[in-house]
Amino acid sequence: MNIHTYEKLWLIAAMVLIVGFIATITYGSVALGITMVGDQEDTIEPRELSEDDRFGEPRVEQVGENEYEAYVVARTFMFQPDPIEIPENSEVTFYVTARDVIHSFSVAGTNINTMAIPGEIATMTAEFDEPGEYGIVCNEYCGSGHHNMEGELHVLPEDEFDLTELSVEADDEVALEDDDEVTLEIAVENGQLEDLETTIEAEIGDETFTEDVTVEGDSTYETTVSVDAADLGEGDHDWSVTVDDYEESGTVTVVDQLEDDGGDDDE
Amino acid sequence: MSESRNAYIDAFPAEAKVVRAAFYSSFLALALGGVFGIIQTLHRTDVFRFIDSTDYYTVLTAHGVFLVISFTIFFLVGIFTWAITTSLDRSVKDIRFTWGWYSLMAIGITLTGVAILAGFTDSIDMSADVLFTFYAPLQGHPLFYIGLVLFIVGTWLAGADWFRTWWAWKQENPDERIPLPTFMVLTTMLMWYIATLGVAASVLLFLLPWSLGLIETVNPLLTRTLFWFFGHPIVYFWLMPAYMMWYIMLPKVSGGKLFSDPLARVVFVLFLILSVPTGIHHQYLDPGIAEGFKFIAMTNTMFLLLPSLLTAFTVVASMEHGARQRGGEGYFGWLKALPWRDPVFTGMALAGLMFAAAGFSGMINAGMNINYLVHNTFWVVGHFHLTVGTAVALTFMAVTYWFLPQVTGKALWNRSVALGQVVLWFLGMTFMSNAMHRGGLLGIPRRTAEPQYDGFEFEASVGSVAELDAQIALGGILLTLSLVLFFANVIGTALNGRSDTLPDNSYAETLSGPEDAPKVLDNLKLWTIIAIILVIFAYTFPLLSIIDRGGLFGPDINPFPVSIETIPMLAMALEGYTTAAVASAGEFAQATLLGVIR
Amino acid sequence: MGQATDTVERTEIGHDEFDPIGTLALIMVYFAILVALWLFMYFVEFLGNDPTVTGAVVPVVGLI
Ligand code: HEM
Ligand SMILES: [Cu+2]
Ligand SMILES: [Cu+2]
Repeated sequence: MNIHTYEKLWLIAAMVLIVGFIATITYGSVALGITMVGDQEDTIEPRELSEDDRFGEPRVEQVGENEYEAYVVARTFMFQPDPIEIPENSEVTFYVTARDVIHSFSVAGTNINTMAIPGEIATMTAEFDEPGEYGIVCNEYCGSGHHNMEGELHVLPEDEFDLTELSVEADDEVALEDDDEVTLEIAVENGQLEDLETTIEAEIGDETFTEDVTVEGDSTYETTVSVDAADLGEGDHDWSVTVDDYEESGTVTVVDQLEDDGGDDDE
Repeated sequence: MSESRNAYIDAFPAEAKVVRAAFYSSFLALALGGVFGIIQTLHRTDVFRFIDSTDYYTVLTAHGVFLVISFTIFFLVGIFTWAITTSLDRSVKDIRFTWGWYSLMAIGITLTGVAILAGFTDSIDMSADVLFTFYAPLQGHPLFYIGLVLFIVGTWLAGADWFRTWWAWKQENPDERIPLPTFMVLTTMLMWYIATLGVAASVLLFLLPWSLGLIETVNPLLTRTLFWFFGHPIVYFWLMPAYMMWYIMLPKVSGGKLFSDPLARVVFVLFLILSVPTGIHHQYLDPGIAEGFKFIAMTNTMFLLLPSLLTAFTVVASMEHGARQRGGEGYFGWLKALPWRDPVFTGMALAGLMFAAAGFSGMINAGMNINYLVHNTFWVVGHFHLTVGTAVALTFMAVTYWFLPQVTGKALWNRSVALGQVVLWFLGMTFMSNAMHRGGLLGIPRRTAEPQYDGFEFEASVGSVAELDAQIALGGILLTLSLVLFFANVIGTALNGRSDTLPDNSYAETLSGPEDAPKVLDNLKLWTIIAIILVIFAYTFPLLSIIDRGGLFGPDINPFPVSIETIPMLAMALEGYTTAAVASAGEFAQATLLGVIR
Repeated sequence: MGQATDTVERTEIGHDEFDPIGTLALIMVYFAILVALWLFMYFVEFLGNDPTVTGAVVPVVGLI
């Protein structure tokens, strides 16, 4: 078989090209540490996501000083959580799975992009050095509402970021006759690892309460404030609780006597 | 029959009829696909929207299936039949068998087409909005899968037909080299037999029983992997016939000879052995497949560039040979001596030029980690409109101007219109595909009815998204015009009277012929065995690992959208919509919904 | 071969007289474009498109 010299030259050039391409990719993998989505995670039963530790409640968690994990569920036609909030200067590992059909989780304008396959969990770690907002799209057709499937990723300045969660439990109705108290059960959860120093401010009617607290990392602080229903008097009273930027509020009604203990209204 | 004329229809009147039928089937698919193409182009770019965005995916499924399954494959079975009979200079063994596989393909694609198009109306309880990739758990009507199976079985029988014809020829010519066109057909079909095993397994073992309700669930990663086992090599199934045209027709229309028959054989052998063990490169971003397997797929893919790069040289050298014989001179000046007024030549040359660009975006697609940038973006759509949408489609349209007279016995209606058509396609695709590539780099997704989002916008550092959309729409309109011209020529030719002055049925001669090619190249058994071994190496472990992880029938997942069991589908859809609409209050909405139902 | 569609003069060039120098020239231009575009795409478009997935990297330090 006689191959023309020029064609031999081209054959060599072509091999150089191919080897050069492979070398570039290998450089990206080895020297720059760009890893591919792989099979590190075990499979998961998509029907049982709601009972799963990680995906039952899709969220962001802090796992190290500047390290976070985001558990993301893609489903027709939304991402959970939405928006995903993380701080700047952080290293975030995304764990992404799908609940129904194949979707993708693709952060527009970045190299964060993966398929979300029911039963499989994709993991991707990336560093976010600067605050900013990104759109998240699903780029795998997933049904008739595919084009509506979007989410947001917010990289917040450090001082605007926290993983604080405030929850308050209060009664709707309190009866005077039983000498009842109007009580607010307040829980402040600190999802971050360092302690959270903050002030709980509560207000029921005209009464105010203030408490300086230190919520330890990764824990919940619980407290209760109460006022005698008699002090408030019959009628509607607004209450509110504030911790940093978080506020919960509601209304409690003080009545003379409860009409019907416990039973639901059945009109 | 005039004695002076020696066109294909004169030598093989019976086969010419089949080839003609295959061409017309192919053109019908092209026409339908083109209509859907322009609809979705104008819709996506928000230039003109007259369908519901939910119907967009029915349109897209039809565009994909009609163009890359029926248009391409019907055309290629036509030219393969031509190639076998012409180069072996003998009829097929049994023309009834030939009609048999053609009919099977036609019935199959009709069933599939009906299942897809039924998605437009609510009055028929049938749909298959699953796109041409039909990834489970998206589920189409069983008819969709049944039609595909019949169509593919039809292509298998077509291959059998060509092999039989070749065996018969071999009995009579035991010492002769396989003629190049026949060699190309046979290697392509061997590749196709191996490749289609993946989709056959996926459809017959899993998707069809599942759509019929015989099995409850499937493993989405497994069926997806089996799809790409087939899905990558299918691109070579489209491409190899186009290469065949570049090797055996283009030199002739350039006025020269094929530069090297042996290298052409090497190229087709390389395609046979390397096409299949690369499919995982479509799954670089799939969870559940180890990085190592992805890396292996990448190296295989990169080496698969070799046959295409070799083709570039051989084909251009053959054109140069023509140009020099026509008096061309200089390093680049010879290009002017090429027959640019001939639509057959110009169409193929422009298709080849586009393929050079496509080669580049393909190299990017092959580059494992750079896939984070381009995967499933509009870039990919730009890429394959250069490959299958131009390198293949434009080559097929260009050679139609030569083949149509050969199989109808009628002169081409209008050569100038033909020339305008191929140039227009080139221009239209330049606009559309370039803008698609750029859009992809901004992160604009493919397969999306309204890539305009509420919460954010795609940011272009050069130009703007509006400018890209305008280019895409303009490109799409030029392409549609080009199609109109093409069909004018096809119809005009069909309506023409018989012509006595058709060129002879022939293909290119060679500068370096088969006598220079080592005998071993014709050892099809050997190459097939090597191909199978490579496939086993590349796929055994990934498949075992996927099955081991996720089970043969996968985790427990609801089919979606179920086309036969309407009630669960409605429930699912209702749930889907409600939760999406009130995204933040998703749980709340569901609770209310339940309350209302009770 | 075929009908005389054009009237260009033909000179028969055989196997041994033909050196595809024009092809070599063209294809080297293509080679240069490929290399340049590859580098641009990988190092500018791709690596410039931060943030990028990096796995839990152990930074390549401590080689002493
Ligand atoms: C009039 C000419 C054409 C126009 C205007 C056109 C336009 C388009 C557009 C805009 C898309 C992207 C849709 C999306 O991702 O949302 C698309 C997809 C596609 N086109 Fe075309 N196209 C044309 C011709 C062709 C040809 C000739 C072929 C192949 C032979 C082809 C094959 C495909 C395929 C396979 C897809 C992808 C379908 C999918 O993602 O499921 N197109 N086309
Ligand atoms: Cu989607
Ligand atoms: Cu591929």
